Amino acid sequence: MPVIQIENLSKHFRVLNRREGLVGSLRDLFSTDYRTVKAVDDISLNIEPGEIVGYIGPNGAGKSTTIKMMTGVLQPSSGTLLVNGNVPFKNRKKNAQNIGVVFGQRTQLWWDLPVIESFKILKEIYRVDAETFKAQMATFNKLVDLEALYHKSVRSLSLGQRMLCDITAAFVHNPRVVFLDEPTIGLDIAVKARIRTLIRELNNQHQTTIVLTTHDISDIEALCQRVVILDKGRLIFDDAIQKVNYLFGAFRTLRLQIFPFAPETLSAFANKLDSAFNCPDAFTVSSDESGWIEVTIDQAKVPLRDVLNLAMGDFPVSDVQIAEISMGSVIQKVYEGVKV
Amino acid sequence: MDTLRYYARIYLLIEAQYIKARLQYRADFIISSIGMACSYAVGIITFWVLFTTIPNLAGWSLNELLFMYAFYLLSVTPLQVFFDNIWSLRIKVRDGSFIRYYFRPLNMMFYYVSEVFDIKGLVQFVLGVIVLVYASVQLHLQWTLPQTGLFVVMLLSASLVMISIMVIAASASFWIIDSFPVLALAFKLREFAPYPVTIFDGFFRVVFTYIVPLGFVAFYPAQLFLRPGEASPVVWASPLVGIALFALAYQVWSRGVNHYSGTGS
Amino acid sequence: MRRYLGYFHIVKASFMASIVYPVGTFFTLIGNLVYITVVFFLWHSIYSGADTLHGMTFNQTFIYLTLAGSVLILFKTYTDWALSSRIIDGSIVSDLIKPLDFQVQTFAQSLGFALGNGVLITLPSLLLMVVLFHGSFPLGINLLFFPVSLGLAYMLSFCLDYAVGLTAFYTQSLWGISITKEVIVSLLSGALIPLAFFPEGLQRVLQLLPFQAIYSIPLLIATSSQLQIADYFQLLLVQIAWTIVFLVLTRLFFNRAIRVLVVNGG
Repeated sequence: MPVIQIENLSKHFRVLNRREGLVGSLRDLFSTDYRTVKAVDDISLNIEPGEIVGYIGPNGAGKSTTIKMMTGVLQPSSGTLLVNGNVPFKNRKKNAQNIGVVFGQRTQLWWDLPVIESFKILKEIYRVDAETFKAQMATFNKLVDLEALYHKSVRSLSLGQRMLCDITAAFVHNPRVVFLDEPTIGLDIAVKARIRTLIRELNNQHQTTIVLTTHDISDIEALCQRVVILDKGRLIFDDAIQKVNYLFGAFRTLRLQIFPFAPETLSAFANKLDSAFNCPDAFTVSSDESGWIEVTIDQAKVPLRDVLNLAMGDFPVSDVQIAEISMGSVIQKVYEGVKV
Repeated sequence: MDTLRYYARIYLLIEAQYIKARLQYRADFIISSIGMACSYAVGIITFWVLFTTIPNLAGWSLNELLFMYAFYLLSVTPLQVFFDNIWSLRIKVRDGSFIRYYFRPLNMMFYYVSEVFDIKGLVQFVLGVIVLVYASVQLHLQWTLPQTGLFVVMLLSASLVMISIMVIAASASFWIIDSFPVLALAFKLREFAPYPVTIFDGFFRVVFTYIVPLGFVAFYPAQLFLRPGEASPVVWASPLVGIALFALAYQVWSRGVNHYSGTGS
Repeated sequence: MRRYLGYFHIVKASFMASIVYPVGTFFTLIGNLVYITVVFFLWHSIYSGADTLHGMTFNQTFIYLTLAGSVLILFKTYTDWALSSRIIDGSIVSDLIKPLDFQVQTFAQSLGFALGNGVLITLPSLLLMVVLFHGSFPLGINLLFFPVSLGLAYMLSFCLDYAVGLTAFYTQSLWGISITKEVIVSLLSGALIPLAFFPEGLQRVLQLLPFQAIYSIPLLIATSSQLQIADYFQLLLVQIAWTIVFLVLTRLFFNRAIRVLVVNGG
């Protein structure tokens, strides 16, 4: 049986059309000029136990609104929504007992208290028995050496440390579903990697279902078996991660800075690629004024490594970047894919 | 009963830790306690200065007014000590961090206010007890057991009135962007509570009794102990007023919580 | 000239910011009206038939206290809170690197806020007081001196707020310091009870303190038209003297406090 069942779920907001200036804001007080914003528009999906589902989309796509409905913050406008068989908004407390939530960079621990005290309070709140609590804490210690932070106040933790604490805290009562909203935002690569390992291990341990929203495609690649993409409130993609890879994952954009850069460098580079790989549809090559060449490579045809080796060998490359795939281009690819 | 014990245990656990953590900032604790003491000492000095000119205020002596003031100090203490976090509500609502209070299997108002235990508020309590003892001795009041019981009941009712008014005012932040003046207004109203309602003429007496029931915060209940013979019969409604008003405040809060959509995230 | 334009822009910006939420301001206005109502009935009952107390008629005392309440709101620009939060979060540095004097910048900000208060709260309150309670101002030469005196009083009030805000360099417990300052000023300046009602010995002490220059002097000037010209000038002189003292002291305090920033590296 699915842990989360969503059927024809919609959330519409009525938003006041605001007017400008002082007089405008006074008139707004009595205004009835509303428009309806469809934050979530008729989405349906089921999530099975143990899944890690990547929940992505551009800003304002309706990700947060859906999460807020699943956690009982918002009441749906229409449709049905069951989390562990509960209607979250009606049975908020009961629902909360069976879920864990990490919401962006806002800690849910007690700001002034030492980390360990927050965990002890959570133990009482969720009525976790002593044995389970001990086992959970031992797991956390093994995974992220939580013990080192026990006696620091949450206020004094770095963002990365706080995130580790918040994520483990969301698992302390062994919930069936955990919602992670942007857990890696603002963190450096090393901490991101630690957090991904942690999430994977915790998911593994008790087959906890995880719903992960993120802007970072590499989070999704590292963790999720399944991806759900929202755009403008509508569900536009819901399938296995491999299917997404088919849409965008094979492409990588390599940026090369070449110095000195002559006007003919670009065409020389393009010709070189052609003659070396004899596979013209695998590349798109462009350049800008500042001496950078951009090559988008279809890795299904030519490995990025080979292109890089070739460039390093034959051109005076002074800097290399591998650009991340932007959310916008993913969405675009999805739409193009849908058309095909 | 089980639920009550559950909440009590969590509350004690949180506050014990919170107090321990806060007391590490000793200078802050001392300075704010001094500020607290000063702000109420001014109220007492004001009475004293006025009574160098007049023998009584609307028929009430200085000691009787001090008794009312003591009642007032004690009745606003629970608001200060247990509900101080409502001052931050507007900020948390505006920046979106209020959303975290939805995620625990706890009553949201409980969870919200449990986050802060205002230690300096205890200064109010101590000051209140000192003034109460002083006024009682000066007025030769007899404290029998039933009297004391009645006093506690009246005090708790008055506290509920004060708490409810402030919770309603703080809840405005769910609807209004800049709700600080609403809270400041409600807090300012409180300053008028220790005066005899009888100084007002008919219209305002009705307002302060039935609409913004500040009369129940100090005057009506204090009258019961000072001059039971003259006490207005409305005083017996005091517990009812406290409970009804708190029920209303809880309704307003709940509506606000359901109205909130977590903007800013 | 450019520099003054800079200050002017700060005043304008903070004025605009202070009138952006008229709904909130409306509640402050209501609060003041309730205060005026309570003052009316409380003092009505204090006078209880007496024509004058300590040389003041009921009307004079009533005008004095409602004016005090309205001026209190006028001066409430939360400079101490704004300043301390900028010190604590470090954003004060961006003010310090501007080619403008720091204290004058802060003053310009406060002034814009005060003007907003004046337009939205103080003036409507006073109008309503005249209409609802039939309070009347004595009209005479005093109206010439009152604005000057009010301006000086505002400078003093600003300096105190400024000094309180600067304590954030040393401590984070602004609440305690700010409230202590607030209650001491409102009591000893005669904003809650006219100084004439204080016992005589205490009055003499209060005359030597700076607080009376913030509320008592301007309010006295506003409510009495029978003083001699020389008396008005003498009162203004007291205010000017205190203003100079306050400006010097706050400058010294700032120069000392800023060292904490240098030592800690912001």
